[in-house]
Amino acid sequence: MERRAVLKLVALTALSPGLDALRAAAACHMEAAAQTAHAPDYELQFFSEQESQVLDQLMEMIIPADSHSPGAHAAKTNLFADVMVFTGDDAVKKQWRNGIRLMDEEAKQSSLAGALQKAAQNEANPQTELEHFFVLLKQMTVNGYYTSSIGIHQDLRYLGNTYVGEFPGCTHPEHQG
Amino acid sequence: MSAEIFDVCIIGSGAAGGVMAKELCEGGAKVVMLEAGREVPPSEFLSHKWPYELPYRGLRDEKQVPFYQGDISKSIAYVDSDHVGIDRVRVLGGRTLHWNAVTLRYAPRDFREWSLQGIEEDWPFTYEELEPFYERIEQIIGVCGNDDHLEILPAGKHYLPPIPWRCSEHILNRATRAMGIPLIAVRKAVVTRPYDNRPTCHYCGHCMDGCDVGSIFTTPDCMLPKARATGNFTLRQNALAREILVDSEGLARAVSFIDTETRTEQQVKAKIVVVCCSTVESARLLLNSRSPQHPAGLANSNGMVGHYLHGHLGDSISIYLEELEGRKPFNQDGATDHVYVPRYNQLQGKQDYAGGWGIQVNFSSYMFPHHATSLPGYGFAFKERVRKMQPGFLFFGSFAKVTSNSQNYVTVDPNRPDAHGIPTPVVRFRFSENDHALWSASNQGMIEIFSHLKGKVFPSFGKAPSGFASHEVGTIRMGKDPRTSVLNGYCQARDVKNLFVTDGSCFTTSSEKNPTLTIMALSLRAADYIKDQRKRGEL
Repeated sequence: MERRAVLKLVALTALSPGLDALRAAAACHMEAAAQTAHAPDYELQFFSEQESQVLDQLMEMIIPADSHSPGAHAAKTNLFADVMVFTGDDAVKKQWRNGIRLMDEEAKQSSLAGALQKAAQNEANPQTELEHFFVLLKQMTVNGYYTSSIGIHQDLRYLGNTYVGEFPGCTHPEHQG
Repeated sequence: MSAEIFDVCIIGSGAAGGVMAKELCEGGAKVVMLEAGREVPPSEFLSHKWPYELPYRGLRDEKQVPFYQGDISKSIAYVDSDHVGIDRVRVLGGRTLHWNAVTLRYAPRDFREWSLQGIEEDWPFTYEELEPFYERIEQIIGVCGNDDHLEILPAGKHYLPPIPWRCSEHILNRATRAMGIPLIAVRKAVVTRPYDNRPTCHYCGHCMDGCDVGSIFTTPDCMLPKARATGNFTLRQNALAREILVDSEGLARAVSFIDTETRTEQQVKAKIVVVCCSTVESARLLLNSRSPQHPAGLANSNGMVGHYLHGHLGDSISIYLEELEGRKPFNQDGATDHVYVPRYNQLQGKQDYAGGWGIQVNFSSYMFPHHATSLPGYGFAFKERVRKMQPGFLFFGSFAKVTSNSQNYVTVDPNRPDAHGIPTPVVRFRFSENDHALWSASNQGMIEIFSHLKGKVFPSFGKAPSGFASHEVGTIRMGKDPRTSVLNGYCQARDVKNLFVTDGSCFTTSSEKNPTLTIMALSLRAADYIKDQRKRGEL
C-alpha cells in the first residue's frame, strides 16, 4: 500500500482503533512470516474446507492460469484470503461467510461459473448482496495474486526491487519528441 | 548525568533536531538530545522484503511497523474534524527515516501572503534573508536537480546530477510542454554521485520504506555522526519528553522525560531548550508544560500555542499510457520521483481562490498493478489486459496549500493520557472555502493534463479534501505580530528567550511545496542565531 494511500487511510480511520490493532498484530506476526499462505502445511483459520475450495475455484476463474503464467489457484489466493479475513473484524468475517453462501446458493441454479457471471454483472454499480460480494472477492483475488511470487515474478515479470548501478532512463527517441 | 547542566537540550531527532544537533555541537555547545523512539538500524529495515515475505503481503503497512513504537498511533484524537491525519512516527531520525526526500525551496511570494494576496500573514523575514540558509543546507544534505529558472521554485547553485527521466515522463513532457506547464527534474535529498561518505542511489524504488544504504538524507546517517564527531553530543533514546521545567523567572531550566524502557521519570538540565518534536507533538509538549509562570502552557501567554494548524491537502490520479502498453517489462523503479510539476496556476491569470498546487509524479510502486481492481471484468482477457497495461503506469499526487486559521488547533486532553500518563493531543481542523476551491481546482488541473495524454485514466479522488500528507505545520508559529505568534523570526519564543522551536510548527503559512527543506533552513538560521547569542553572553 503506497504511503499517500496509507496516510489517507490513517486520516479516514482516524477514529477507528482497527488500524492500530492491526499494526500491533502485524508486529506479533513478524516472527511468524513463514506461516503465510505459501507454507505447504498452512491450516485454515477461518474458512471451512468447503468454503476454501469454493473460493479457490472462484478466484481461479477471476485470474486463471493461461499460457503466460499460473493463476490464482497456483498462487493459493484462497489461503491468502483466509489470513486476511481471519485477521479482519467481525463485519468483514460476516461479509465473506455470507458472500460464499450466496455464491453456493446461486451455483445450484446453474453452476459456480454461472453464479460468478451473475455476481459480476453490475461491477461498477453493485446493487444486490451478491454483486457487492463480487467486488470484495475480486479485490481480494487481485490483492492476493499480485502480491504472490507467481503474480509478481511470473505474470507481471517485475524487474525492480533490486540494486541498479545506474538508472538508464528512457532511451527511446520516439518518446522524447 | 542528572547533575550535569548541558548548554542545549534538543527534543526530537528529525529533520529539525538533526540540523540543530550538528550545528550547535560544531559551534562548541554541549548538547543532549532526547528522542522518544529508538534507533532502528538499516539492518532492521523491511524495505526490500517481497510482499509474500510479509504477514499481510504489505497490504497493512507492515514495512513501516519498526518506525512506529509503543502506543503512539493510538494516542491522538480528532474532534469536529475533516479528514486529516497526523503521521505519528516515533523513531530516531523521525520522518527522515521514511520520507520521500523531495526538497523544494519556498518562493519569495510564499513568505508574503498578506502583502501579495491579502490573506493570512507575512513571515517575519523575506526569502532573501533565508536564501543563504537554503544554499548552505542543500550543500550539507546533498540535493539532486537543476536550476530551472522558475520564480515559483528558486534553485541552489550546487545541485548533484538530476535523475534520468522515465519513458512515461518524457511522454508526459510532450503534453505539459504543449500546455505551457513546466515539467522539471525533481529535487530530492538523494545523492546521485558519492557525496559526504554516502553512496550513490542504487535506484531500488523503495525510498519511503527506508533507505538502507544512506543515499537518502536521514538524520542518523548524515547529521548525528557529525554531531558525535565533535565530542559534544549526548543522545538519550527511548526518552519521551513529558514537560519542560522552568525557573522562578519562567525561563526553561530542565526537561522532564520518561525513560520508556525502565518506565522511570528522569530529568536533564540545560541552559537552552530547542523543541523539534514535529508540529503536533511540539504543541503538545508546550501545552503540557504548565507552571505558575506559564499557566496556559509554556510560552503561551497569548493563547496561540496549538493554533493555526494547517499543512497540505491533496489527491491522486493515474493513467496507463497507450504508447507503453504491451511493452516488455522493464525496471522503472528508480529513485521513486524523477520529475515534478511545479505550481503553474499563477501563470494562468487571476484565480477565484488563493494559492496553488504542485504535482509529484510516479511516487508509487511499479510492483503492484493498481489498475487491476478498477479495470472491469475478470478471466483471461482481464488478466492479459492488466499485464499489458502495467508498463504504461503514470501517477500524479497533488500537494496544495492549506490556509492557516486560528480556529484550527491542537489541544491536550488530560482525560486521555498515553501509556505513560502524558495527556495526548486533540486535533480540531476544518478546511476553509479556499481550501475546497483549491482542492477542486487541483483535481481539475490533473484531469486536464491527463486529457492531453492517450491512455486509460483511473482517478482516485476522495469525496472531500483530505490532509495533511505528513506536511502539517503552524502550531507554534513565528510572526511579526506578538498577538498572533509565539516565536520571532529566529524561532525564539517571545515569552521564554531560551526556548526555541524549529520544526514545522514554527511556519507562519504554508506553500504548496513540501516543507522539510524550509524546516531545515529555518533550523540552520536559528542555530546560527543561538551560536551568536551564546558568544555574546545573551543566552
